[in-house]
Amino acid sequence: MSAARVVSVLLVMVLVLVTAMLSACSESPDNGGFAGLAASVENDSPHEFLQPGPGNRLSFPDDFGPHPQHRIEWWYLTANLETADGQPLGLQWTQFRQAIKPRPADDPPPPSDTWPLEAAWMAHAAVSYEGQHQFAERLARGDVGHAGARAEPFQVWLDDWLLSEPAVGEPWRLQVQADGWGYDLRLGNTDDRVAHGNHGFSAKSFDGQGSMYFSLVNLDISGTVTLNGKTHQVQGKGWFDREWSSQLLKTGQQGWDWFALHLDDDHKLMAFRLRESEGDRDRDFLSASWIAPDGEVTTLGPDQIELVGQDWRDSENGEHGESGRVPGQFQLRIPDVGVDIQVTAPKGQYWNAGLYPYWESPVTVEGSHAGVGYMELTGYNK
Amino acid sequence: MIVKAMTSHYRRHPLQLLALALMIVVATMLWTGVSVLTGQARESLAVSEEAVAAREAVVRVDGQPVSVTDFVTLRRAGICVAPWLETARGNPARRVIGIDPLAMACFDAPPAGGNAGELAGEPFVDISEVAGDSDRSESPGQLSLLISPGTGALPEAYQRKDFRLGPATGELADSFLLNLDALSLLVLFITGLLVRSVYHLGLAQRRSSFALLERFGVTKAQIQRLLAVELTLLTLICVVPGVWFGQALANRLGQGFGLALDSLFDLSLYAGDDTPVPWQAAIVMMALVLGVCLVDRLLPQRPAHEGKSSWLAIAPGWVCVSMAAAGLTMVIWASSLVWVFAGTALVFAGVGGLMPGVLARCAEAMARRQTQSPRSPLARWRYRELAVMFRNLALPVVALQFAMATVLAVQALVTTFEETFEQWLAQRLSAELYVEVPEGASAETGAGALAKLDGLGDWHRVRRGKAELLENTGAGDALTTDLMALSPVTPLVTDWALLASVDEPWAALSAGGVMVNEQLARRQGLALGQRLRIEVGGEIREVLVVAIYADYGRPSAELLVHGEWLPEDFTPSFQSFSINPGERSVEDIARRLKSDWQLADLVIRDNASIQALASQVFQQTFLLTRAISVLTLVLASLSLLVMGWVFFSTRSWYFQLLSVWGVPPGAVRRQLRGLALLLTSGVTLVALPLGLWLTWTLVSRINPLAFGWSLPMAVYPGFWLELTLLMAAIGLVIAWLIGRSLAGQASLRPGASLTGGGER
Repeated sequence: MSAARVVSVLLVMVLVLVTAMLSACSESPDNGGFAGLAASVENDSPHEFLQPGPGNRLSFPDDFGPHPQHRIEWWYLTANLETADGQPLGLQWTQFRQAIKPRPADDPPPPSDTWPLEAAWMAHAAVSYEGQHQFAERLARGDVGHAGARAEPFQVWLDDWLLSEPAVGEPWRLQVQADGWGYDLRLGNTDDRVAHGNHGFSAKSFDGQGSMYFSLVNLDISGTVTLNGKTHQVQGKGWFDREWSSQLLKTGQQGWDWFALHLDDDHKLMAFRLRESEGDRDRDFLSASWIAPDGEVTTLGPDQIELVGQDWRDSENGEHGESGRVPGQFQLRIPDVGVDIQVTAPKGQYWNAGLYPYWESPVTVEGSHAGVGYMELTGYNK
Repeated sequence: MIVKAMTSHYRRHPLQLLALALMIVVATMLWTGVSVLTGQARESLAVSEEAVAAREAVVRVDGQPVSVTDFVTLRRAGICVAPWLETARGNPARRVIGIDPLAMACFDAPPAGGNAGELAGEPFVDISEVAGDSDRSESPGQLSLLISPGTGALPEAYQRKDFRLGPATGELADSFLLNLDALSLLVLFITGLLVRSVYHLGLAQRRSSFALLERFGVTKAQIQRLLAVELTLLTLICVVPGVWFGQALANRLGQGFGLALDSLFDLSLYAGDDTPVPWQAAIVMMALVLGVCLVDRLLPQRPAHEGKSSWLAIAPGWVCVSMAAAGLTMVIWASSLVWVFAGTALVFAGVGGLMPGVLARCAEAMARRQTQSPRSPLARWRYRELAVMFRNLALPVVALQFAMATVLAVQALVTTFEETFEQWLAQRLSAELYVEVPEGASAETGAGALAKLDGLGDWHRVRRGKAELLENTGAGDALTTDLMALSPVTPLVTDWALLASVDEPWAALSAGGVMVNEQLARRQGLALGQRLRIEVGGEIREVLVVAIYADYGRPSAELLVHGEWLPEDFTPSFQSFSINPGERSVEDIARRLKSDWQLADLVIRDNASIQALASQVFQQTFLLTRAISVLTLVLASLSLLVMGWVFFSTRSWYFQLLSVWGVPPGAVRRQLRGLALLLTSGVTLVALPLGLWLTWTLVSRINPLAFGWSLPMAVYPGFWLELTLLMAAIGLVIAWLIGRSLAGQASLRPGASLTGGGER
């Protein structure tokens, strides 16, 4: 579920737009979950938003492209890299699409010179290095041309930020330039896809709503990261998610804790917990994918996973100045696959301080398994 | 018990208490309303100026209009640009601006209207709404691509261009607000005088009660303390609704004002509803009321000057004359605003000190002249009574004079402002259409195209650039000024109202003369017929000043020359055409220019809608000033009514004597009416010259010092008449009230306080 996290941003942003411009009211934000992801938006289009279900299947390469009849989707990359001198460097890039009006995939987009408002895009980029956390956010309106996504040849772009497959079979390239920092990376091994949940349908609550979700979990990444005027050669492992839905959260869910871990025995682990509001936490929804080195996926349900937050940190989420207590460490137990690990964020603050702040940090893994990975926490800021 | 005794006066005279309370409420309301409005208006204009300044847009080097494709190209190149699609809607035309709040998120300081997904509200709408309109309407909106300041190099096909988000009218508005501030202070001063007058008049009536209390052992100090508590309580009680009413007034007026500002300046500037309660205004009013009423208690006791404790009564005439003379001198010759304000204060103080005595003497002189008249005893009585009133009512008379003078000045200022602004705007936008010569297009080609269009109305070409005004001696530093060149001279400009000019100024301009704007003329002391040395386009030329023209919109110095006078090497920074279409349609003109300039698109601006929009803002500003003016008048009238009534009441014993002497009741009422009319018209008479002088000071001294240009001085006798009639009406109401009061009293005896030293 990786994505859900930030997506929110988009959602709320669009809700604001919708309210202001189309006079369409959304549900109360209290019930809307983090960034309004549990809220529904009124739709005056003749078409309906499609909601994924257990019967849906993945389709390639189409599913690398946009799904205009779904409300939300994202392309999401995290990477645990090392510089030439062996220093760890965490890196994230995400691009979200939020639809305001559903549009069947076969329908042509509205003309760009009408500046249509049928979808909005948002991109996030972050680099975590030596205790510093750099973050940038870009926003764009859909169907105008400066933001979009395409399955073939694969491209996802917003302004001059671009993830692309230069030619079929070649490593992907990710270029991001923010204010004073940026990166230019090559992403290899992009063919090993992992479908989460039921053939790609990943449930997000006991009530059954969820999203379509697949990942590329074994990316080989190399390239350069420029920070503080210095360009670092980097290489390491990456994790890429694709996820789309029309209602990701159910009403009442407040946020999530999400992990994507590269373990030293070459297993991969994706796990998430969707948190209910206080007083209803026994209905938190947990899910995980235990991915063997050969790509075989074991889907794990709520009864098989135990997740406990520890080492609570007081923190301020950047420019917004809001404070929140965030667990800096989690104890994650999945006895069925022999996992009993502590997942720990490095010291420091890792808020992505955009429209809707959330925590996004590299992590190290200790315990039954060692490893590295990424952790995303939403809904903790007050 | 003491408290009961103290308050017995107001129990007997509840209307007097009500009147005093009402005055404090109205005064607080006035001051609060004015403070809130001027404060917010100033802040709003400051924000708007900031918003409209220092912006840049990206244009295509090939002169083609920018489109959504250019927007995408630039954004994909990493350039932070945002679309700005502007059009007009409704009747009268209202500016509507389509923006993309998402695109604006990359700006460190968003231009206006919204950011990161939020819209600030009208006139800003989502760009898709305007683009949708454009498809339907005949005149599509004009798309601009604003660029974030500090953006690096642009792709080759693009370049930067200055961009204003709205017309710059801040200079004119600043001047207006400065004058408003000065008037607000004057209003505060007048309020102080009026409240003090009414309060002390009440105190005079209560002296007998205080004397009685003293006989019962209550000390003077106790009485003073109780009076202070009584006034503090009254003020506290009255200030609260005053502040509330003032805020409500400000919000009501502010909404209209805000709407106009929004429309013109593209920002949600006027947050009238969100204004915090203006407690500062309440505190100022509390301090003022308590200060003016209780200041005597803080000063050392002077030898008895019953009822004449103010400087108005004790300052010798020569001191007042000196003050007024010094003030006049300062206002005329001062070179800084502070001294002009100080001089104005001195003039007011001097006139205030002199006027009651002068009026009283005039009344006495009139009384002496009545000795030959068959109705002389009554007329003499009336004038003598009037003289007594002028002396005893010195403070309220002066306050009333100041209030009326202020009202006169405000009215003249507002009307002059309005007329001048409209006239100036009409002058500057005299042509119906305006076409900016696009980058890369030749203005000569455009002029040729227009010349070939049969049936086209008047048109002229405007070239703007810079010139150096050299010292006449040829030695000193050169002054860089704006230069505007017009050609040909047509009726579009010959109707301009010039501040000063030689005969046939436009012919003189065509013959090589130069016109200078008022700012330049004032700063450099330039006069008609003066020879100037100007460097333009690398050439030094000598020219004669043939006219001085008003240029209210901006502070810059400017020279106006004929286009053919310009040297060949002159490179204009900006060129445009002002066109009256005559028999041609806008489409005809656009087609011809587009064809000759080889452009796919061309923006032709409709000057009428711009003028309408700019006028809206000022209409609201004028409304605001008028409201202040009317409220000041209401306050002054109310105080006149109260004081006249109270004072006439204190003299009622003498009026009753008229009946005792055998004057029939009808004749007594006539005498009272005459007396009241004489009192109010006397005040009106002395207020007129002071009001005129104040108007002159505002338009001819304060404005030039603050902004470099003056407003024309105009007088409005019609308004004087209105004011005189109003004052007369108040006089008649006072006379009617006293007449009724006398009719209801079988026998009247003067109170202890009035027999103790009152003038007869």
